Amino acid sequence: MHISDGVLPISVTVGCYVASAALVAWSARRTRNEELPKLAVMTAAFFVASLVHVPFGPTSVHLIIPGLTGALLGPSAFLSIGLGLLLQSLLFQFGGLTALGANALMMGLPALACGWFFQRYKGRTQLRQAFVGGLAGAAGTALAAIILAILLVAGGEDFFGVAKIALLAHIPVIIVEGVVSAFTIGFLTRVKPALLQTSFLRQTKAAHG
Amino acid sequence: MANMINIQMPLWQLLLLLLIPLAAITIMVVWLRRIAYKHSAPEEKRDWSVPPLADGSGASLLHCWDVRCKIVTILVCSFAIASLNHLEPALVAIGVSLIILVIARVSFAKVLLRLLAITGFVCMFLVVMPFSVPTHNGDTVLVFNGMDWLGFNLRGLRLAATIAAKAIAIAVLMEPLLSTAPLPVTLHGLSRLGAPEMVGQMVLLSYRYLHVFRHEAQRMSSGMQVRGFRKRTDLETLRAVGNFIGMLFVRSFERTERVFDAMRARGYRGRFPEPAELRLRTRDLLLAVVWLTAGAALIAYDRIAW
Repeated sequence: MHISDGVLPISVTVGCYVASAALVAWSARRTRNEELPKLAVMTAAFFVASLVHVPFGPTSVHLIIPGLTGALLGPSAFLSIGLGLLLQSLLFQFGGLTALGANALMMGLPALACGWFFQRYKGRTQLRQAFVGGLAGAAGTALAAIILAILLVAGGEDFFGVAKIALLAHIPVIIVEGVVSAFTIGFLTRVKPALLQTSFLRQTKAAHG
Repeated sequence: MANMINIQMPLWQLLLLLLIPLAAITIMVVWLRRIAYKHSAPEEKRDWSVPPLADGSGASLLHCWDVRCKIVTILVCSFAIASLNHLEPALVAIGVSLIILVIARVSFAKVLLRLLAITGFVCMFLVVMPFSVPTHNGDTVLVFNGMDWLGFNLRGLRLAATIAAKAIAIAVLMEPLLSTAPLPVTLHGLSRLGAPEMVGQMVLLSYRYLHVFRHEAQRMSSGMQVRGFRKRTDLETLRAVGNFIGMLFVRSFERTERVFDAMRARGYRGRFPEPAELRLRTRDLLLAVVWLTAGAALIAYDRIAW
């Protein structure tokens, strides 16, 4: 779920912009210059993955995948998510540009946290990697929901009720996201484990010679 | 609590107050969506969301406007609208946005799709806030059948309506900003305004490969359907979706390498050629000043009138 324009107080909106600009700059610094075009192409892949809808009872939920993005891209994930959101705002119909900073924080911070968590605790066996990946996937969405609620509550006590509903609405997404992330990570450990190293860009490059 | 106005109402009026507007909105959304889909993209099913990379064919005031002035003005104006606090100025802002829409002569169907995309989030506010806002002095609360816990607070409704109006006004402004110039030109303007050049390049690259990967994903999913896969609510579906995403990543990453190699083979040194020469004229600045004055007037109306 994205925040739309005009919801947050203007001070929070501007504050989020400043914070996410700083994080984007940090994230870009952690990515090597010549890797940036590659990161752009991979952002497209994550974007497509986030369009996948999964049926959940009578309705369907669509994946948000901040956790997976973090696990695969490491520190570059924030840049990738910011780019994806900018793209969504520019070309797809969702939202204007004033809420961009808040949305980037909402998706990007969980990605960084989950990326770190996954790399730190992934261990060596396939089963453990899939399990930790699932945890990271679920935690990513949960954190995003919590940040959304915090941002809404920043608007004053009038927004408490909406924040609660928004949190509840994310519970099915958290479950689906966790399970799908576990399967995706499990698949990658079998098929292309190199992708799960944060520095995989450099490794594949070395393989190319 | 002492000064709040309590209006007792029978329960059936709650239905009138809540269900009828909700039903009306739902019907309108369905109807508008049908219109929007019909008017855009007859050939491909999902490509309605893709504005053409180069369609600078229009000749409205906004099409000839210097792209740098346009970006700055519309961004500042969006923030001005976002900072409004009252319902009436927000409604005026919608009016201003609609006038700009008419001047810019952009596709109405695309604006409609932008609005439809935010309906879910905005409707959540409209439904939840009247019931969840804490009551203050001077609030008008409608209580149905003496059920005190279900007070319908008119202040909450007003607050939610203000948010909805602001969201609509800003969403409407996006289409004149983006579709009155080809995307590379807009991004070029952005980089001339001081954004790192890499930002524009990355947006263009992602945009281009977004479609490649989406077609890839469509091919994969039709392959799965041919093999008998149907989406259900069970673990097996989630496993298939997990593998699907994993496969999408594996293929895209391999492709990423090849794309980058091909770019370097063609002499890519971190720059794309400039898509257009930008020239700032007096009337560009004049238009910007007029528009920004309108934005400032809106804020003044918002802050001084109350």
